[in-house]
Amino acid sequence: MRKIMPGPGMRAIGSASVILALCLPLFLTLFLPVSVLHGQEAEIVCRENGIAVTSHPRATEAAMEIMRMGGNAVDAAVAAAFAIGVVEPHASGLGGGGGMVIHLLGEEKSYFIDYYSLAPQRVGELVNRDREKDRHTALSILVPGTVAGLTLALEQFGTLPLATVLKPAIRCAEEGFAIDETLASLVLDSAEMLGMNEATAEVFLDMGFPRMLGDTLRQPELAATLSAIAGGGAAGFYEGIVAEQIISEISAVGGVLTLEDLKNYKAKLSEPLRGTYRECEILSAGLPLAGGSVIEALNILENVDLRQMGHYTTSAATLHLMAETLKRVHSDRSALMGDPDFTYIPVNGIISKDYASSRFHQIDQFSVTPRRYRDTEVGNPVRFDKAGPGKAGAAEPRNANVDGPDDDGDFGKSTHDKWSGDIFDSFGAAKAKSAKKPRAENSGKSSRENKSGEKRSDEDSRDSSDKDDWNLEEAHTTHLSVVDAEGNAVSLTQTLGTFFGSTQMAAGVLMNCGMNNFSASGKVNNVEPGKRPRSSISPTIVLKNGVPFLVVGTPGASRITSTVVELIVNLIDFDMDVAQANNAPRFFCSKFEDFLHIEGGIAEPVRNKLERMGHSLRVHDGIDLFFGGAHIIRIDPVTGAVCGAADPRRSGTAGGD
Amino acid sequence: MKRVTVVCSMIMLAIAIPLAAAAQEKADTPAAPAVAVVKFFGPILISSAGQSADVKMVGMMAKRLELDAKVEMMAKPEHLEGIKTLIVVPGFSSKGLGAAGISQKDEMARVVALIDEADRKNIPILMVHIGGTARRLGQSDDFNKIAAKHSKYMLVVEQGNSDGFFTKLADEAKTPLEIVKKIPETMQPLQKLFE
Repeated sequence: MRKIMPGPGMRAIGSASVILALCLPLFLTLFLPVSVLHGQEAEIVCRENGIAVTSHPRATEAAMEIMRMGGNAVDAAVAAAFAIGVVEPHASGLGGGGGMVIHLLGEEKSYFIDYYSLAPQRVGELVNRDREKDRHTALSILVPGTVAGLTLALEQFGTLPLATVLKPAIRCAEEGFAIDETLASLVLDSAEMLGMNEATAEVFLDMGFPRMLGDTLRQPELAATLSAIAGGGAAGFYEGIVAEQIISEISAVGGVLTLEDLKNYKAKLSEPLRGTYRECEILSAGLPLAGGSVIEALNILENVDLRQMGHYTTSAATLHLMAETLKRVHSDRSALMGDPDFTYIPVNGIISKDYASSRFHQIDQFSVTPRRYRDTEVGNPVRFDKAGPGKAGAAEPRNANVDGPDDDGDFGKSTHDKWSGDIFDSFGAAKAKSAKKPRAENSGKSSRENKSGEKRSDEDSRDSSDKDDWNLEEAHTTHLSVVDAEGNAVSLTQTLGTFFGSTQMAAGVLMNCGMNNFSASGKVNNVEPGKRPRSSISPTIVLKNGVPFLVVGTPGASRITSTVVELIVNLIDFDMDVAQANNAPRFFCSKFEDFLHIEGGIAEPVRNKLERMGHSLRVHDGIDLFFGGAHIIRIDPVTGAVCGAADPRRSGTAGGD
Repeated sequence: MKRVTVVCSMIMLAIAIPLAAAAQEKADTPAAPAVAVVKFFGPILISSAGQSADVKMVGMMAKRLELDAKVEMMAKPEHLEGIKTLIVVPGFSSKGLGAAGISQKDEMARVVALIDEADRKNIPILMVHIGGTARRLGQSDDFNKIAAKHSKYMLVVEQGNSDGFFTKLADEAKTPLEIVKKIPETMQPLQKLFE
């Protein structure tokens, strides 16, 4: 903010200014390869020998440091993921969990690692408790998966020793780093709850008051724990002294985690969920994470030519279609998705093109249906699931969890095809029909329950439908994308549940509040020992002609699906570059509140038309962290140019060599 | 190449040091007007202007200082009954507004009503801005301006005034402004104001 005025020293260097002008570009090239965001516009960064995009410059540097040492994309992503947990301690870390999608170009193979947190064995003791009250206590802590996931990735696909990739994280924790704007603001907002745990307060507060922008944040205890992992691998965290310290400290404040829970945690390696969109292949996170929702949404949108309809910032028809799509996707996710190890999940049906077609034909191009978002019906993808229930290891479907046919009585054969007209000239028709009253539907269910009677989880966002306030659930979690010089790609998203997780710290590690991601009732996402709660996390890689084309993902809780879908549409349908895609205004809607949230920048005529269609708009002031912090890389299929952009909504950077 | 790099680095250093000195010199200059002797008395009502959590920090300070104070995030004119000082802690928080279930417009109307009532009852207003840059610009400045305009004294953590914003407001309103470096340092002047 302060202006630097020329002082007496400036006069002495007047003659040096010419040399400076000549040397400055060289200086910047040699010493500042990380492009930092300025103001509120994402900048595009293109590099030849690998690129990393993360939420913090120090994490981006960690990835670059590892790639310079000869590490591949997995080495770099793991280094960045450990580092981001240190420099963005509110968003993810050793005490949380996540998921990553990996594509190895040489092998032409893709992998998904699920390292989401899971319920401890004694979780039964907590079933009837008030989760909201317990959120910032040890009772909300699930078994953390980050260390298992990152070390598994490194063991399977990395090339450098764990101790080497952990060095940047340990350095950041030991030496400290300057608190950035995002963290400063969050500490200020959360100071009261951070003060409730002595160890947490020690890190984030100064004499009980928030540390501020520019202050140095040091985490020596976390550095010691990271060093134990560097020396002992995952066992250095899940067993031995660190594990004992974690359990001792968590038990002292009432937590139910045990040494056995930690010792038994295993990250899961599998294949990513696969879909296609406009000649591209989509690789995204499997269950209980939400890659299936991204694929479902893209499948529905594939039924029209979005490019011909126009971009959603200038075409109400496009934004309406996307919003109605996302409502249905969100409705399906909240009713049907969960841990497949415990319940049959009709995921193959959810991501099938035929099911998407049936969902598409339920959308009215002229008006919001049903009138209230919260009454959005759950689909019936079971009939489209060719693998079907009863497959090996899966439980039988429970009717209570899967919605029956809607009032058509026959999915996929809708008798009133709402897209029968010509969509491409429908906008004029929409004007004429906009006065048509949408169907008034009311499921009769409480807004906190879905049709199957399942009370929704924390990630499903809180209800604000009965009052005129905004759903301002925090945009917690973090995402990073990495592509190396060989073209290997990693898309990684990890979380503590909400910002600062449970706010409980043990062995210098801020622990998650994953319990709140379980639903309070129902069977799909209820709490059971050893079960993973569902999450919106959707790290995604898009292939074109079999090679990585896009690496994309975002934090943002229930906005993750909508933001990832909007980015893919921007990049594929509208040929935007990564900066343009990230700068484009975003929108969000869900089943659990009746508002269509949009960022400033969506044209007023579009907003007016949307309101006439029946949408209740909530216009955010400019761009807003609420909509996530997406970090994208695009590899040009023709030139091979690798370009990345960090989200201007967060303090991220893109960097490479 | 190496030589060029070294030369350039030295030039950059040679420039950076005097620049930094000049910047420091300049940074020290937007000093606050001389702080006048102003006294406030309890009972104190502490309220937010913008629903940021900063008000809780100021409440914590008052508690530590054993001041006769109560915090009401959503204080209304009727809460001023029997009050001798109103502390307004400005700073916009969308999270705070969401938690309160109100819009920015509602919050501004509440703040205006509260301040008007305090003025009508001759209850002096002390503005305490502790949020630094996190509570500056945009919607925060709408609340900062109204709180500053009606206050009898302004206590501000330096980072929030790095562009001289509060200095300008204090000059315009001829209101004493006291700047402190860090949030915990707010306690000392706060104590003095109520001695």
